[in-house]
Amino acid sequence: MPTVSVKWQKELYPAVEIDTTQSPYVFKCQLYDLTGVPPERQKIMVKGGILKDDSDWSKLGIKEGQKLMMVGTADEIVKAPEKGPVFMEDLPEEEQVVAVGHSAGLFNLGNTCYMNSTMQCLHSVPELKSALIEYPQSGRSNDLDQSSHLLTVATRDLFNELDKNVKPVAPMQFWMVLRKKYPQFGQLHNGSFMQQDAEECWTQILYTLSQALRSPSTSANLDTVKELFGIDLVSRVHCAESGEESMETETVYSLKCHISHEVNHLHEGLKHGLKSELEKASPSLGHSTVYLKDSRINGLPKYLTIQFVRFFWKRESNQKAKILRKVDYPLELDIFDLCSDDLRKKLEAPRQMLRDEDGRKAGLKLKQKNTSSVDSDVKMSDAEGPSTGSGESSKATLGEGVASDKNVQLTGVYDLVAVLTHKGRSADSGHYVAWVKQENGKWIQFDDDNPIPQREEDITKLSGGGDWHMAYICMYKARTIPM
Amino acid sequence: MESEPNNTASGSGNPKEEATLKAPSKDPKTKDDKKDEDLSEEDLALKQQLELYVERAQDADLGLQKFALESMRQEIRTSTSSMTSVPKPLKFLRPHYGTLKSYYETMADSDLKKLLADILSVLALTMSAEGDRESLKYRLLGSEGDIGSWGHEYVRNLAGEIAQEYSKRVNEEATVDDLIELVEQIVAFHMKHNAEPEAVDLLMEVEYLDLLVKHVDKTNYKRTCLYLTSSARYLPGPDDVSVLDIAYTIYSKFEEFPSALQIALYLDNMQHVKQVFTSCPDLLRKKQFCYILARQGISFELDEEMCADDEDKEALQEIINNTKLSEGYLTLARDIEVMEPKSPEDIYKAHLLDGRASAGASVDSARQNLAATFVNAFVNAGFGQDKLMTVTSETSGGGSLGNWLFKNKEHGKASATASLGMIDLWDVDTGLAQLDKYFHSNDNHVTAGALLGVGIVNCGIKNDCDPALALLADYLDKEDSSIRIGAITGLGLAYAGTQNEQIRDKLTPILGDPKAPLDVIAFTSIALGLVYVGSCNEEVAQAIIFALMDRSESDLGEPLTRLLPLGLGLLYLGKQHSVEATAEVSKTFNEKIRKYCDMTLLSCAYAGTGNVLKVQHFLGQCAQHLEKGETFQGPAVLGIAMVAMAEELGLDMAIRSLEHLLQYGEQNIRKAVPLALGLLCISNPKVHVMDTLSRLSHDADTEVAMAAVISLGLIGAGTNNARIAGMLRNLSSYYYKEASLLFCVRIAQGFVHMGKGLLTLAPYHSERFLLSPTALAGLVVLLHACLDMKAIILGKYHYVLYFVVLAMQPRMLLTVDENLKPLAVPVRVGQAVDVVGQAGRPKTITGFQTHSTPVLLAAGDRAELATEKYIPLSPILEGFVILKENPDFREEA
Repeated sequence: MPTVSVKWQKELYPAVEIDTTQSPYVFKCQLYDLTGVPPERQKIMVKGGILKDDSDWSKLGIKEGQKLMMVGTADEIVKAPEKGPVFMEDLPEEEQVVAVGHSAGLFNLGNTCYMNSTMQCLHSVPELKSALIEYPQSGRSNDLDQSSHLLTVATRDLFNELDKNVKPVAPMQFWMVLRKKYPQFGQLHNGSFMQQDAEECWTQILYTLSQALRSPSTSANLDTVKELFGIDLVSRVHCAESGEESMETETVYSLKCHISHEVNHLHEGLKHGLKSELEKASPSLGHSTVYLKDSRINGLPKYLTIQFVRFFWKRESNQKAKILRKVDYPLELDIFDLCSDDLRKKLEAPRQMLRDEDGRKAGLKLKQKNTSSVDSDVKMSDAEGPSTGSGESSKATLGEGVASDKNVQLTGVYDLVAVLTHKGRSADSGHYVAWVKQENGKWIQFDDDNPIPQREEDITKLSGGGDWHMAYICMYKARTIPM
Repeated sequence: MESEPNNTASGSGNPKEEATLKAPSKDPKTKDDKKDEDLSEEDLALKQQLELYVERAQDADLGLQKFALESMRQEIRTSTSSMTSVPKPLKFLRPHYGTLKSYYETMADSDLKKLLADILSVLALTMSAEGDRESLKYRLLGSEGDIGSWGHEYVRNLAGEIAQEYSKRVNEEATVDDLIELVEQIVAFHMKHNAEPEAVDLLMEVEYLDLLVKHVDKTNYKRTCLYLTSSARYLPGPDDVSVLDIAYTIYSKFEEFPSALQIALYLDNMQHVKQVFTSCPDLLRKKQFCYILARQGISFELDEEMCADDEDKEALQEIINNTKLSEGYLTLARDIEVMEPKSPEDIYKAHLLDGRASAGASVDSARQNLAATFVNAFVNAGFGQDKLMTVTSETSGGGSLGNWLFKNKEHGKASATASLGMIDLWDVDTGLAQLDKYFHSNDNHVTAGALLGVGIVNCGIKNDCDPALALLADYLDKEDSSIRIGAITGLGLAYAGTQNEQIRDKLTPILGDPKAPLDVIAFTSIALGLVYVGSCNEEVAQAIIFALMDRSESDLGEPLTRLLPLGLGLLYLGKQHSVEATAEVSKTFNEKIRKYCDMTLLSCAYAGTGNVLKVQHFLGQCAQHLEKGETFQGPAVLGIAMVAMAEELGLDMAIRSLEHLLQYGEQNIRKAVPLALGLLCISNPKVHVMDTLSRLSHDADTEVAMAAVISLGLIGAGTNNARIAGMLRNLSSYYYKEASLLFCVRIAQGFVHMGKGLLTLAPYHSERFLLSPTALAGLVVLLHACLDMKAIILGKYHYVLYFVVLAMQPRMLLTVDENLKPLAVPVRVGQAVDVVGQAGRPKTITGFQTHSTPVLLAAGDRAELATEKYIPLSPILEGFVILKENPDFREEA
């Protein structure tokens, strides 16, 4: 009976006796006692291969003191999980959108970046999307002209396309309808379409949509666009000369941020923008005189649009020149001090609640920081309000947002959700780009067909003062508090 | 130089006497010579004196003649020691050279005639017209006195003339005996006077290097051999072998066995290797030899003759089998404190990317997971622990994170399982235990990966029990082709360079199997090429050739077919002319593959030879403008790199030539150029190459860009080079939307941080002298696969990336004591300096820093011991070096 030494992993079992009269299986059982590896999983290296259970010892020529090697473990055999992971490469395209975390880009159809960036910004308003979905394909109301209807339908289809695709979309149909409705966008220069002012495009589209989405079915004259974007202003018109004073109210779709030498910050610009001088005939004086118009906000929208008045008509050069001045804007905007006294009163209670909430969150945050500091992204999406969980489909969150609409209160505090920037020296040239915050809290720069992820810090750097992209239109979303 | 002072001493005595003797006869001459006005008093005197001698030498009176000649000789001898300008006596004698020559012809044979011949021979040094070789002519006619007495310059000139004369006589088939006699004198003189390069040069010219052995001694053999070995690189054909043979003989003669062994390995001469073992009596030194053999990665069996004692033999064989490599590597890792496993995210360092946030993907991308698998494998190679593969298997119950393995798709799972082999690299016991459970998986891809993993873990390690063969052999005939490929490739990796006949018997039938799919055949060819690398094995070659001929027309168009000729080429790796017969056969192949095969064979055969003619041949091939569809220029471009990588000069020239190809070449050339650059500078990130590749990584052509990205990884492989890491990081954000390019960037990142910076892929080692054939073979396979990135690496054969394992080696210096336990000693590590042909004891490194071993050595670094306490047993401090205590060392107070 020869004795051999058996090497198993890092261990060496010296002096294992082999009973050559028995089958190798017996030997394996011996090793089972030593190592705990079941015989069927033992692989013992002998000359010319692995020791088989029915081999003949005499033919293997085992020598006294020979070193054998055994491979095998008692470890559990690895099993594939029942449900394998789903890979991005296998997903249909619309599902990839969720995975990618942002919607598609838009192809530039020849100087249409102003339109692309406008649409990307508007596309980020879920309420507008849901309103469009409800818009009937055929049943247009009587007071709406055909081209407006078509433009609305085209907008709806385009938004749909954007949601469904990962690859860039060519907004052909929309582009055609837009030109039909507003022929000025179809201007040609040297045989190609001209660059246009994005602000004009923005205003026109919103105007059309506001016309179209005035749902005739509901009794209340509910204007979705107005509800979403409309800012009620109350103005005191005062004539210094005559001492006349009157009050006016109006609804605008955007606040203007005037840029003068004193303006360094959005807030100052907005204050400027709310004060204006106008010249009109004074009934008491009998001649035209200067009136001072001092406006205050009387009703807040869900989405606050702010236009930086960066372009002015330069008579000498006959073009819209650009003010490059740097005007900072915050990620979080509080317009409380631009509000009228009535509104302020209304806002006080929700604001208090918001402060409490923030305080609570800050306290929570401190605690959280101790345990895990990784959750900063989650926090951000929390702050966004009703939209919970970035993984859910956009429709779900959308519905939720609408449903909870009724019982939420505005607070006068706004979060930046989209920035439309311009790069270049005049409105009719250069390049427009949209920077849009996605539902998962990530910022994406939509440079036509090329969506590029960006960091939040870099968004506020688009404030001008150079030849880099600078904010032209900012869109803020209201921070609400459930009541 | 000893004779010189004597000469001058005796010389300075004599002329004074003569001057006084001859003073009266000098006077009248002075007044005649008006043209010598600008000469100083002293020079004038000398000039007149010499003229007088010339006159007297032609005197009828023999006594006077003799006296004049001897004085003349004396005058010359005392002055020839200066080399900066033409010595004065020679200058003044110039006008009389003709007179003396014609007088010589009239003289009758006598001692005096010989004396004159001697003088004429010296005068010819400055006088004779180019190509006349009069110096030599008169030397042969003159007395055969001490050649050195005429000074260095004379000997040097003579040597030059001998070389010319020799080649002329050989052409005319005349006898050269008299020349050889002279050569012998000259060589003896040179060797005595620290002019080894001159001696070697002369002997090479007259093809009589054997003479050198007689003349080397303890003081100059090292310099001589150094010159011999480094000049061998520039010699053509069989000359280099004979030169190295001489170096080997000299090293053996002076018992400088490690160096002798290195030359034996360079020549791939196993007979010499055996001789080294048998002629060295010291066991400890034999152990060092074994370490050198292990680094070269060749299999070598010791026998009784080489080591009598069985136990010792086993110990030695264990070193050759590389069983301790893992241990040494981990010692280094612990010393440098990099044991902590790294995850792919630690490598990507996405948080450092400027401006762009990573788009948070909530769904796994199979391709990115596969990339992470590879990065994880390369980065944690050999450490035995990681954060993806080993972690989940240890936390029982599958782990809450979910098993990483199953986050890979289909064939990706094969690579993931095989990555375990990479993580446990060189540690066969642990590795096999880790892989064992995957053998029983019911998923074919997992099993295939486990088989490949066994091959990887055994790469470069030999084990008496042959676990790899025993485990893999059963799977060779399985139905599933991915399992077969796993087993075949595993065998190829585990037994690379062993020329194991069992493997050949098992694999060659597959090549002839008409039912075997193309991919199985392709990988079989590669595996056989690896196992028989550089062996010129006829049988294997035949089998592959038949397999190639059997391919159908459509098979030949497949991208994987390129691996067949490559397997054939590997058989002849570095074997130069031996390939010719096979190359002839390859001319009969189908026209589709003929050219490709030809290029591959040629490039392999001349790999690492530095043969300039072959480089030119390949460049010529690249200059052709091709019909569409021909692909042979890819291997031709790689061939340039493979041939030129042998030595620094050729390497730099090749880089320049490749730059031209980039500018003028077509797409199929341009996409191969980055790969060639990658091979030339592998694990040696030269800044200008880095810049070129960085430029190409943004190339408009995707294939060029992909190749450049991979090559960036190759040139930085295992270096942790911060600049390349930065470039790749930026590329990862630049290409974040292009999945294929991003995959390449990830792989390159894995390469750069390979082994957390402790590894190198360079096939050259031992101060860039030796070329490990298996390492080169592994790289070449990878590069050929990269020629068609889309079909192979980005397709389902990504596991060819694991072929780099053949080239992976720790770039360390680990000093061990006499019991082979690690021993920390201070060493100086610095940039290596070329000291070939320098006199004295020049510094071999510059800009050094002192560290304590184990240390890392970068490309071009050299280490030297900073203590006298120990004596290293190998002159080259790389890898494992045994230190012996210095008996003469005395601790300083």
